[in-house]
Amino acid sequence: MSDRNAELGSLPPLLRVESVSKAFGGIQALHEVSFEVAPGTIHAVIGPNGAGKTTLFNIITGAYPPDEGGVVYAQQEVRGRKVHELVSLGIARTFQNVELFGNMSVLENVLVGQHVRTRCGFLGAIVRGPWVRREERQMREYSMELLEFVGLDGVADHRSSDLPFGWQRFLEIARALATRPHLLLLDEPASGLNAVETHRLGELLEEIRKRGVTLVLVEHDMSLTMGISDRILVLHQGKKLAEGTPREIQANEAVISAYLGKE
Amino acid sequence: MQEFLQYLFSGVTNGAIYAVIALGFTMLYKSTGLINFAQGEFVMLGALSMITLWSGFELSLPLAFLLTIAGVSVVGIILERLAIRSVRKPHPIVLIIITIGASILLRGVAMLGWGKDAHSSPAFSRNEPFEVAGATLLPQSLWILGIVLVIVTALHFFTRGTLTGKAMQACAINKRAAWLLGIPSETMVLLAFAMSAGMGAVGGILIAPISMSSYDMGMTLGLKGFCAAMLGGLGSSWGAVLGGLLLGILEALGVGFFSSSLKDGIAFLLLLLILYVRPAGILGARAVHRF
Amino acid sequence: MRNILFAVAILLAGLGISSPYHFQLLTFIGIHTLLALGLNMLMGYAGQISLGHAAFYGIGAYTTAILTAHFNWSPWLALPAALFLAVLIAFLVALPMLKLSGYYLGMGTLGFGMITYVLIREWSGFTGGDSGLVGIPPLEIGPVSLSSGRACFYVVWGTVVLGFIVCERLVNSRVGRALRAIHDSEQAACAMGINTAQLKISVFMLSAFLAALAGFLYAHLVSFISPNTFDFLTSIRIVTMVVIGGMASIWGSLLGATLITLLPEWLHIFSDYEMVVYGLVLMVIMIFLPQGLTRGLLDIYERSKRRAGVPSTTAKG
Repeated sequence: MSDRNAELGSLPPLLRVESVSKAFGGIQALHEVSFEVAPGTIHAVIGPNGAGKTTLFNIITGAYPPDEGGVVYAQQEVRGRKVHELVSLGIARTFQNVELFGNMSVLENVLVGQHVRTRCGFLGAIVRGPWVRREERQMREYSMELLEFVGLDGVADHRSSDLPFGWQRFLEIARALATRPHLLLLDEPASGLNAVETHRLGELLEEIRKRGVTLVLVEHDMSLTMGISDRILVLHQGKKLAEGTPREIQANEAVISAYLGKE
Repeated sequence: MQEFLQYLFSGVTNGAIYAVIALGFTMLYKSTGLINFAQGEFVMLGALSMITLWSGFELSLPLAFLLTIAGVSVVGIILERLAIRSVRKPHPIVLIIITIGASILLRGVAMLGWGKDAHSSPAFSRNEPFEVAGATLLPQSLWILGIVLVIVTALHFFTRGTLTGKAMQACAINKRAAWLLGIPSETMVLLAFAMSAGMGAVGGILIAPISMSSYDMGMTLGLKGFCAAMLGGLGSSWGAVLGGLLLGILEALGVGFFSSSLKDGIAFLLLLLILYVRPAGILGARAVHRF
Repeated sequence: MRNILFAVAILLAGLGISSPYHFQLLTFIGIHTLLALGLNMLMGYAGQISLGHAAFYGIGAYTTAILTAHFNWSPWLALPAALFLAVLIAFLVALPMLKLSGYYLGMGTLGFGMITYVLIREWSGFTGGDSGLVGIPPLEIGPVSLSSGRACFYVVWGTVVLGFIVCERLVNSRVGRALRAIHDSEQAACAMGINTAQLKISVFMLSAFLAALAGFLYAHLVSFISPNTFDFLTSIRIVTMVVIGGMASIWGSLLGATLITLLPEWLHIFSDYEMVVYGLVLMVIMIFLPQGLTRGLLDIYERSKRRAGVPSTTAKG
């Protein structure tokens, strides 16, 4: 693992968060947080509830701007761009509480994921010329591939809200992958999963990384985080407490006393 | 100048009424996040009930006043209990359709009850008009301004000074947290509905002597009240008052200097303008909830 | 396939019917279906509401009426003008409001509908005011006048079939899926890169387009229009059609339009109770079957059917 770190370290970072601060009313959610994510790595963000992890995600995806500091993704400033623009630039995310399109089928959820990678508009849909039909066919094929990848191809026609919760999490990942991201942000992907599912999730994330997608995840499940992450960022009360490889984090005094020390 | 003053008087009079209607919207929005499309119908019910109770049944003025407010508040409570509370998916579109349905229902019932004719009530007191710098000021205008002032002050002390008022605000900020602290949030929502309906009734009572009232007056007045509330900043009580007065004055000036057919257009143009330029309104501190 | 059957049914109905009264009734059902279809796209698929849809209906009717009756334009030239004007106005109205939450569009369209009604009545030099506008020429294709009951019937229902095909294609396309996605979870739709505000504005324009088209047909088929056809109650009638037929159901528009058109014909005392009935229908359906009558009943049916089949699912959360 350390070999790959050295090798990837020479590449410019895919994501650079530069002393980002954000306050809501009187609460300082983030205070001068900086870190970099090298392409092709898995980066975990950990910290107790209220440490500012989800806020960090929302800032990276452009849901709201930071008060101070900036986010640079693939050498481009994120500030001022709309969420949907960032998706087409290659940033995808999943949600802590699973936000599926509940009334739509499993397949349709993944089809929506390809929205930014396809172009059929109102007129195209009405005329439905050959290129539109070809695009639609390709979309369906790719969606089925992704569903197969996460193991949901058997339930493609089910209403997504009818799936068991764990399956919904996997569907959400497939849907995020459908946007063809370079950077995938996962907000607590293991929460609500049982041990078997968590194990499968770990394998899946490794697999996604091997396909060239850079991953940033917020996670509470320590065995998962320590097992798959290349680097870990520890947030505590909106501030960066530590950053390093899993081994370094496990040995870090400040982290142990603030967070892991509970054990 | 004299002409201007005359328009100003009539603008402030109407504006005060819009302010009360706007307060009705604001009340409910603050404590439930809901915009009630039937708010204007409470005004209509207030006006027609007042006319019936006072001119028809010849009750004393204060009694008719109180009975009307109580009656319309009960309608508000029934609406909340039977319709709003039973909604399973509180998506805006569902709530809009339910309240607009309530609005049509109330309008239809009023048409059956009061007929299609317009009615009006006599002025609250029969004094001669005053003359101020060459412009005439009707005593009824003073009644209206006085009553609105009393209501706004009372409301201010209610939200700031009483336990119930504070509890209501707490519910508005965080319903769950308020519930955990033992505030009966359902009762608070019910109270907000009753008060907001009562506020609409007051608007109707005030309007009854100065213009003709009929079953179909509610929608226009509701829209103007909403416009006033938006103008001042939805959710701000003082903003509602300011927005109401501003709308009333602009309307009066528009009617005076341009054309009377323009009157109802002004409110809508203002509404569009405020949505384009500053959706938070003049005094709206919080940003308008987007998405 | 369904559309072909539908077209054949219309063809046969047109041949089989001979009573002018029935033709007229069916023509109105067709026009109302177009109105309901447009609003259904907005309410059912984009989750937004228009409480002033009669305004776009009126803009379509009055634009073509003024251009053809006052300025002697050919109806076929007036058609694009009417459609363009309605779509442009829809864009301007929706632009500020669709970026805000649903309530603002509701209030805004309500006001817009009222102001359009006032304008039609006040601008009597062109519109004829309360007394209406007469002398709108019938539609013609070459030497063939489409003024007979049967011709009107075919024109309107031909348009309805086209409207159905267009809307069905839209719903099952990338755009339609994006719309349904917004309706299910706006937050997630945004995270999928969907430009929600732009899409909502487009659908609003589409629904105005269909309403203006209905207005165009109405003006030329009836040859006389007056403001009352485009008042607030008409807007509510269209909303009621959508709610009865079921939101997000294209065929539901047909059902809703049929019921709301026939109800006053069947129940003559209905007119006095019209508002009470609409009010109650809107409230009751929204409280108990928020998906609308057809979808709601279908959901209940499917749930009872599925109870045995699919493996048990854990509750969310």
